[in-house]
Amino acid sequence: MDHQHNHSTGSPRELPMARSMCWHCQSEVSGEYFCERCVKVQPVSKELDYFTCMGFPRRLTIDPRQLETKFYELSRAFHPDFFQNKSAEEQSISLGNSAMLNTAYRTLRDPIQRAEYLLDLEAGAVKNIRTSPPADLFEEILELQDTLDEYRAADRASDASATLCSKLQTERTMLERRQQDMETALQQLFAQWDALQDRGEATDQARAERDRILKHMRDILSNRTYVKNIVNDLVATIS
Amino acid sequence: MAYSDKVVDHFNNPRNMGSFKKDEEGVGTGMVGAPECGDVMKLQIKVQNDMIVDAKFKTFGCGSAIASSSLATEWLKGKTIEEAQKIKNTDIVQELNLPPVKIHCSVLAEDAIKAALADYQKKADGALVDAK
Repeated sequence: MDHQHNHSTGSPRELPMARSMCWHCQSEVSGEYFCERCVKVQPVSKELDYFTCMGFPRRLTIDPRQLETKFYELSRAFHPDFFQNKSAEEQSISLGNSAMLNTAYRTLRDPIQRAEYLLDLEAGAVKNIRTSPPADLFEEILELQDTLDEYRAADRASDASATLCSKLQTERTMLERRQQDMETALQQLFAQWDALQDRGEATDQARAERDRILKHMRDILSNRTYVKNIVNDLVATIS
Repeated sequence: MAYSDKVVDHFNNPRNMGSFKKDEEGVGTGMVGAPECGDVMKLQIKVQNDMIVDAKFKTFGCGSAIASSSLATEWLKGKTIEEAQKIKNTDIVQELNLPPVKIHCSVLAEDAIKAALADYQKKADGALVDAK
């Protein structure tokens, strides 16, 4: 997916650090998870976002293999098993780092979760852009909910039940197609976001573009959740 | 985590479930959703002489969301527009004993009330302009 832009940093030891000073020997640590002088593991800051933690830029297209490779590299570096004979402090840091790494990997691995997370990170600037509730979609969902109730109450052997079932099947197909369309639209927005990040401009136009992309992404992600919920309900009821 | 008795009661015997025609005179409709969990809530009020004479809801979501909106319609009936504005999500939390993870359901209900009141106001103002 991401062949043109190889953003992966070479070694896991070249990542931005939480502390500028080693907790153990007080020497300066520059951009490493391990102190150069005393070789002690350093804690990953809670402030550090998952992209930075994994050494990836804030882009929405991530090569899953690259991410996995990075995850394994860092897992090996932090794994509590390798700290069993070390001090209590080091053990606790290794545990904390491993936990953070696992969450970071889980979040970034899934494209939707990755986008949700990015929106959270970038929300500062777009917080005041409230998403408008999609009234038509809500109306549709509530109506469908009524039909589902009707179907649940209907005698399974009756003609009415069969009619309702085929109606729900049609709805399901349509909603699933819509879900796919939303995912396609999201992919396009992801690409737009990445292109904008790569250009790295700081103009008003770039900022406006950035807000537009984020807001649009927010809307689609929300609508996708609504649609996904009703589809799940449909699937559970009619199959 | 168990639901409180009041939540279970509203969930099993929802009050005022249903809907009014949107364009009916004096009806205000509030439609809100929680993008985090995908819950959808529709709350409607029927107003006569500044008094809410009836209220209905339809909610697609968890038990707490259903209970919150059910309770909201109960509370709305018989209130004036001004009194209805004062209903807070914290009142709902308290009455239903909602745990912290379900507070957003009460927020959704408050948002729905606000949206229904705003919709009614908008329609009433529009009618006033039309009359002129």
